[in-house]
Amino acid sequence: ARGADGGDGASVWQHVFLLPEYLKDDSKKMKSGLVFVKLANPCSGEGTIYLFNMCLPQLFEIKVFKEKNHSWFINESVQSGGLLHFATPVDPLFLLLHYLIKADKESFQGKFQPLDQVVMDDMFPDCILLLKLPELEKLLQHVTEEKEVDKKKYYKYSKEKTLKWLGKKVNQTMAALKTNKVNVSARVQSTAFFSGGQVSSDKDEDYVRYAHGLISDYIPKQLSDDLSKYLKLPEPPASVRNPPSKKAKLSDEPVMAKEDYTKFNSKDFKTVKKNSKMTAAQKALAKVDKSGMKSIDSFFGTKHVKKK
Amino acid sequence: MENSYEETIDKRRVHLRPDTLRDPAPASLHLLPCEVPVNRPTPVGRFFTPAIRMGRDGLEASFRGRSLRGEEVVVPPGFVGYVVTEEKAEVLMGKQDDHERQEQELLEPPEALERDCDRFMGATASFSSFTVWGLESIPGPDAKLRGALSWPSLAAAIHAQVPED
Repeated sequence: ARGADGGDGASVWQHVFLLPEYLKDDSKKMKSGLVFVKLANPCSGEGTIYLFNMCLPQLFEIKVFKEKNHSWFINESVQSGGLLHFATPVDPLFLLLHYLIKADKESFQGKFQPLDQVVMDDMFPDCILLLKLPELEKLLQHVTEEKEVDKKKYYKYSKEKTLKWLGKKVNQTMAALKTNKVNVSARVQSTAFFSGGQVSSDKDEDYVRYAHGLISDYIPKQLSDDLSKYLKLPEPPASVRNPPSKKAKLSDEPVMAKEDYTKFNSKDFKTVKKNSKMTAAQKALAKVDKSGMKSIDSFFGTKHVKKK
Repeated sequence: MENSYEETIDKRRVHLRPDTLRDPAPASLHLLPCEVPVNRPTPVGRFFTPAIRMGRDGLEASFRGRSLRGEEVVVPPGFVGYVVTEEKAEVLMGKQDDHERQEQELLEPPEALERDCDRFMGATASFSSFTVWGLESIPGPDAKLRGALSWPSLAAAIHAQVPED
């Protein structure tokens, strides 16, 4: 396995990716067709990089796991940053919803429009690729009212239908959280700790809140608030949502050129020292997540930033 | 900065060559708990890997005088790890002759996305597991990386189509 690092003496930037296995099988059929494109993030509206498979076609989002002070050894080479990129399939309806809501708010208030007039974007012209995705008509039924005139479909954003659709998304996300045994609250975690792994299953509200947090990363803030009401979640004490600008970004983090090559992850080091003096119970408490509301960022090593 | 293909994507599309995903050579990867601010060949096999030992609670190694504890991490089911690099312009030139390119244009729709100034990336290596290292203690089940590796299964649930009424 030597020599696969592409290193011929020159500095080569190596990106570490996890990609769905089936892309490998599809690759037999295609010579080109995988392309990184910048599209409007449905939560923040900011440009975000997605991977588009022209052949299926299918859209993938790219999330980056990064922790401070990490690097890779890749065969006989070193790669700074220690980033790990995940490409996972994304429901394109979240991205379409961004445009449907925008159109409803701005130009076409209350009017039915053909999809190709809704999904237009000077900033991110590649958004038209979304129109190539399969079964759009079926997807759009979840979030729009539709009309057919002369065999052409016209759509109008429906908040009611959208909330119902999002409610189902929350449900299936909750089920996955339970299957994956993700600790969703302080109470669940410490209970599990003290009673030897017995996670109480009656804290459904914690799961709903957590799932709502995950889904909220794909919808605008206003809709997230509406969804919270729809799910009858009690108001969080203060706004604990992440500002949209804190989204996991694609490998653009500048790597500091420090002279000290031996700069280790000092945080890890401190944690180790501190933990060694803590009792088991203290450790369990230290791990407790106090925000009560998680977002995708928590999976990718970016810090939670709370407003105020 | 060479890593900034995000910048490039504004102006030129960045392609990932599907044929490179087929069977790139397996790679050995180590995620280190320290910053090494360079990207270049380095004699890992001479100074790092030979000193890896199986200790009481996992792998043991040392790097720049610090003691490391490590463990093997498997990539999530249904996924393959790839090392992806940008192809150099001169490599690219000889890659496709005009005839081949024309043929491809015929096969694919006009918006097949390849344009003259586009950039290309390809997988140079693949992996199904890697070693994650912690400073003086093994990263363990609470490591943030563990949470991240459960992301694909959560993402699948978030993005799956909802059941019909």
